[in-house]
Amino acid sequence: MQVNPTFSRRGASVAATAVLSLCASLPTQAANITFSGQISFHNDVVQIDFSLAQPATNVRLWTDSWQGGLNFDPLAALWQGAGSDFSLLDQVDDDDTVAPGQGFYDTGFSLPTLAAGNYRITVAAAFNGANGPLLSQGFNYGSEVPILLTEWNQPSFDPNANDQKGGFWRMNLSGVDQASVVPEPAAWQLLLLGLLFGRRLVAPVLARTGVSAPL
Amino acid sequence: MGRPAKTKPLPTGTSRRGFFQRSGGAALALAALPAMALQADTRNSRGSAVFQHGVASGDPLADRVILWTRVTTAQRSAVTVSYIIATDPALVQVVQQGRVKTNPDRDFTVKLDASRLRPGTTYYYRFSALGQDSPVGRTRTASVGATARLRLAVVSCSNHAFGLFNAYRRIAERADIDAVVHLGDYLYEYGPNVYGSLRTPEPPNEMVTLSDYRLRHAQYKRDADSIEMHRQHPLIAIWDDHETTNDSWRDGAQNHQPETEGSWNMRVDVGLQAYYEWMPVRIPDVTKRRENQRSFRFGDLLELVMLEQRLSARSEQLTATVPTPFGNGFVQTGAFADASRQLLGTTQEAWLASILRTTPARWKFLGQGVMFAQLKLQGATLAQGGGVFLNTDQWDGYQPARDRVYDIFKGEATQPAVNNCVVLTGDIHSSWAADLSQDPNNPNIAFGGYDPATGIGSRAVEFVTTSVTSPGVNDPTGSTATLLRSINPHFKYINLTQRGYMLVDVTPQRVVAEWWFVDTVQSISNVQTFDVAFEVQNGNNRLQPSAQTTPPANPPALAP
Repeated sequence: MQVNPTFSRRGASVAATAVLSLCASLPTQAANITFSGQISFHNDVVQIDFSLAQPATNVRLWTDSWQGGLNFDPLAALWQGAGSDFSLLDQVDDDDTVAPGQGFYDTGFSLPTLAAGNYRITVAAAFNGANGPLLSQGFNYGSEVPILLTEWNQPSFDPNANDQKGGFWRMNLSGVDQASVVPEPAAWQLLLLGLLFGRRLVAPVLARTGVSAPL
Repeated sequence: MGRPAKTKPLPTGTSRRGFFQRSGGAALALAALPAMALQADTRNSRGSAVFQHGVASGDPLADRVILWTRVTTAQRSAVTVSYIIATDPALVQVVQQGRVKTNPDRDFTVKLDASRLRPGTTYYYRFSALGQDSPVGRTRTASVGATARLRLAVVSCSNHAFGLFNAYRRIAERADIDAVVHLGDYLYEYGPNVYGSLRTPEPPNEMVTLSDYRLRHAQYKRDADSIEMHRQHPLIAIWDDHETTNDSWRDGAQNHQPETEGSWNMRVDVGLQAYYEWMPVRIPDVTKRRENQRSFRFGDLLELVMLEQRLSARSEQLTATVPTPFGNGFVQTGAFADASRQLLGTTQEAWLASILRTTPARWKFLGQGVMFAQLKLQGATLAQGGGVFLNTDQWDGYQPARDRVYDIFKGEATQPAVNNCVVLTGDIHSSWAADLSQDPNNPNIAFGGYDPATGIGSRAVEFVTTSVTSPGVNDPTGSTATLLRSINPHFKYINLTQRGYMLVDVTPQRVVAEWWFVDTVQSISNVQTFDVAFEVQNGNNRLQPSAQTTPPANPPALAP
């Protein structure tokens, strides 16, 4: 099963994001699930939640969207639910050994065992890594003015090919129970958050890090 | 794409190599000492296993420079490489650091276009990967605005099989130069004992496939003297023919046999892929990889235009049919007079004209592969047919195309003349200084001629650097050079025998070219000698004898 959400925190994609939040939850039983979509900016962060009702074995999470430099070089982080936040379990830039079809700069996790619980996996453009052990701390590029991928030279790009300009991403999950893409906060959500928690939370933390609104 | 089924014959015909071989250059090869072959590579005490190909930099602009290295690893997955850039050799005053990546598809080469740098500044850099640090490299950005002086080392024809890169080592030791200009034939395609036998090429066959080209580049980059030169100075390089194969042109080459080596386009593709992977050069347009022409501005002092003369537009070399003691020559009739034949191509010609006419820099250098000056075996005025020419592969074989460049120098109806042009040339394994005239054997200045006594009539000058190792002519008494000068009065200096490099010192008032020679390429030697210097004064467009220049005081320290 595959959905193709198009993420953006910009106003133009609010409608698509809202639709996504209604339909992207995919209850399964230890299934293989694939999500894909497009990011536009160098500091966009894709977030996917999944859960395990029981301890699981041989859970695999991987991208296969780098495609030899056709698309951006992904960096994935795996987080475990910790109250209203998530704590970082691991962060992997390159691992092309998780599943067939991956390229050199694809990423992923092979987890022999994984405890029951709620998890989140984030996919960002390398080297937009986590700022700290909590997801609420955001990502390295979070405070930067967004740059269109088409106009950005990702640090790992090949100057001889001028590659990695595409925003397509694809994350595959194997052995999880339920998964859903976490939508970026829509404009009305940000406005509401601003009213509830103060403006300081909106831009630096939520919008830049991609942490979903706690609504 | 197949391997050649037979051993390649030595190139024959009217190429400069054939000329040299017939003139005794092959004697140099016979004198080679195989026992010395491994000595050079043992001098790389700074190398690490991961960074055994050293570091390099190149294509300096005012705000950026290419930094290069290569990771050696047995793994078949991505490698993250960190880098640091500082303004001091100890890497304490850090201005940038970051990470890049490489992978097997790039042959684990690393290329970083380090930007946001300051103009006219010396930087030191280092890479780290897989738990090891690279040697520290040193580079320098181009200047902006008023620029008082620039010094360039100019090299060409570095044949690993033919000798040791002692000239590279001498250049590496000089802190007084701003960049190294390599005018092509950075590496050679031949298999063992085909063109040089001091060192055995890797792989032991002519390079044809992507793997071949990569392995050959790797061998050259592992050379200890090459490592040192690249480590200390930024490189500005253009390819000539041997980066693909001998006497290449747009649709083929003398040393390419489609029946055994596959399509020419495929060979060019893989050759250029390896070139761009292994050389610290910036690719101007990834969709037009053959169009490697680029320009570098050093403030108000110099515009260095690097020309592509092989793969983007060059028409096939014609056959010379006029017998001479040096082999067949040719006259400027028939197809040789065909204006549709190209060396640069219309696109590059227009680009060159635009740059030369609009640059604010005082001096305009044309860095390029093949000799621009006329080289005749029998002199005559243009009105008398121009005489008999030697080499169809150089500009003589493309006279209408050369005339179009002269049109830029001279100016046209709506365009003023362009003064202060200096052509820098390699390819020919020997040293030359020339006034550039379209009719050098015609003493009548009023009718487009040239006065060899005063240089009046010259539109620009040319400095030709000798080879780093490739063989020249065995001319110990200079008799061959004297003969050539008697036929070609526009040459003010010819040395056919020595290996080495050229040092070009540029100030607003003059450009001085110094020829520096090493005593041997067959063994390790620290001996270098200054031979001669010629200069061109601002606005004169003609040569005059000069003297060795004084290096600037307190140049930036070499990398440790």
